[in-house]
Amino acid sequence: MSVRFVTREIGSLAKPPWRVKTFAGRPLDESDFAAADDWGRRLEVAGYEELVEGLRAGSLSKSQIDDWAAVYAIRLLERAGLDVVYDGEQKRTEMYDHVAAFAQGFEPRGIVRSFDNKYYAKAAVVEAPSVGGPQDVEEFEFVRAHTERAVKVPLTGAYTMEDWSYDEHYGHESGLGASAEQRYDARRRFVHDVAADVIRPNVEGLVAAGADWIQIDEPAATTKPDEIPLVVEGFNEATRGLEAKKSMHICFSDYGALWPAVMELDDCLELQLEFANRDSRELGTKNEDRPGYADTLALFKDYGYPGVGLGVLDIHSDFIETAELVRDRVLYAAEVLGDPGRIQVNPDCGLRTRSWEVVYEKLANMVAGTRLAEDALN
Amino acid sequence: MKAFAPGIYPRSEALVQATRDLERGRTFPEAVAEEEQRDFEDLVSVQRAAGLSFLSDGMLAWQDLFRPLADAAEGLDARPLTRFLDTNTFYRAVLAVGEPHLATPLPAPDLPAGKWVGTLPSPLAFARAARDEVSAQKLAANVLAPQIAAWAGAGAAMIVLSDPFLAREGGAGELLAALGELPEGVPLSLQLPFGDASSLLPALAEAPVAAIGVDFYSTSVNALPQAYPREIHAGVLDARSSAPESPDEIARFAEELLAREPAGLALVPNGDLQFVPEPIARQKLARLGQASAVLAVVA
Repeated sequence: MSVRFVTREIGSLAKPPWRVKTFAGRPLDESDFAAADDWGRRLEVAGYEELVEGLRAGSLSKSQIDDWAAVYAIRLLERAGLDVVYDGEQKRTEMYDHVAAFAQGFEPRGIVRSFDNKYYAKAAVVEAPSVGGPQDVEEFEFVRAHTERAVKVPLTGAYTMEDWSYDEHYGHESGLGASAEQRYDARRRFVHDVAADVIRPNVEGLVAAGADWIQIDEPAATTKPDEIPLVVEGFNEATRGLEAKKSMHICFSDYGALWPAVMELDDCLELQLEFANRDSRELGTKNEDRPGYADTLALFKDYGYPGVGLGVLDIHSDFIETAELVRDRVLYAAEVLGDPGRIQVNPDCGLRTRSWEVVYEKLANMVAGTRLAEDALN
Repeated sequence: MKAFAPGIYPRSEALVQATRDLERGRTFPEAVAEEEQRDFEDLVSVQRAAGLSFLSDGMLAWQDLFRPLADAAEGLDARPLTRFLDTNTFYRAVLAVGEPHLATPLPAPDLPAGKWVGTLPSPLAFARAARDEVSAQKLAANVLAPQIAAWAGAGAAMIVLSDPFLAREGGAGELLAALGELPEGVPLSLQLPFGDASSLLPALAEAPVAAIGVDFYSTSVNALPQAYPREIHAGVLDARSSAPESPDEIARFAEELLAREPAGLALVPNGDLQFVPEPIARQKLARLGQASAVLAVVA
């Protein structure tokens, strides 16, 4: 049987300037109309002229502009050649705030730095969190209606919601001088409540609406290595028994800390991880050529984890990976794992920090490089 | 009771916006510098109003604990984005591209001599950030020692050496050897943010530093040996929590620590206050000062 790798994105894309400015209440100018026009043509977005006219006339609602941004993002991913797409999370503010602002039980507290000059809004949990219904069904149905490609829905995981929130509810007895057990117990109750009463209702709603692939994003998974069992419990609680493909995305982390706990993930077909950020940019398929991949792939091999989502694009750099570099990264992984069927190909993480120009080139090369790898293996 | 707040302090929303605008080409470096100066002056006022014993400049221009030193040193560079354990933040790992050597020391903050504390990475933390491609001892001798000497000469009352890795990853022996390379002209405090220091305290009792900084939100009070021979810089403000601490509760906890008769005691946050938004950090500094005042009344 010939080898065919599935290519896909991970989640977020930058939002077009006309979408950003509209939501920020800033006036649009010629550069925004030109961006809408240019990308509309390039991506062959049906009826893009209506968007450009609407932007010029100021006649579009925010909801309509969100829909246009989603369609543009879907077309970008399709034109780059991906097998599996979503909408680049155009309708979400940001992966944490998207959930915290929707669920009851969280209150905003302000912004904190993630790195360099990048910040995120952080909330405190002030009561047991819950939701009145699934959050993302409408978003999914819009994507489903606007593409023929396979669709994968990214959702923020329960552990990351817990780890990125301030705790003003669960930890009353786990403050100054408390025992490690008290602190762990408080965090466990928080994770459990988010998984059961915030994430799971969303997953259930999505699956009922026809979503057949749910990706749980847990970038915080290894920030406290002794709490990785909580990551696993949160995933299982949120997805157990639901009829869909399930996977988990983790990035910029100490992957060595994930094992053996991740072997307890229920029916999680793959872990989609960041590799390219820590790899060499030189070609080659030997161990010494691929320092960003060797150690982590060895863990997949040693523990027999079923599938890897292979990050082949560095999302924090404008460096355009060549198709040949992507090819070599994929071929190296196939060699280490001994079974190309365990590999699917993606960027390290969401590409929201890159311009669409850079994103398009990177993704197109990712697909081209993946095809080169298939050619080599077939 | 001494109280102070070393480490990276959060930027105000105005400064955050200025840095964002700069990245997007909407403003100029001078405008960012102006906002930075405003934040610095505000922070000094807040610390003075809280009655803190030493002032900190908040390291407002530091992008992470290692970058400015890596930039100021020959033989070091910064590149891959790496996640800190235990916080949702990243640093640029330090790349060793040659023999490390501090070319020009970082300037001292504009604060009164004898009244300010500076913060640097511990030699072990620096080496860990460089993925151990350079030894802690070499980084101590060639980069940190000249930096500490420069700040000592510029009036630092104390230098805090922050080590976010030691409590999780160990390496006390390597650290102790490296600390021996540092100059003695200014008191050094080894701070262990966001980690359980229980198992390390015995080994660090003879460290060539004046004080050990312990996170008491991760470390049980029972872990502090009786009559500990180093001053304890007790992390009693939780820099990862938005909830304001009670000054009375802090004071009661400090009395528990004092009952163990360490060589000295000072009150500090358990890590950089940058992990809470600036208005919350400001509130926490006030509470720290109030706790110190409560203890002064009790004494």
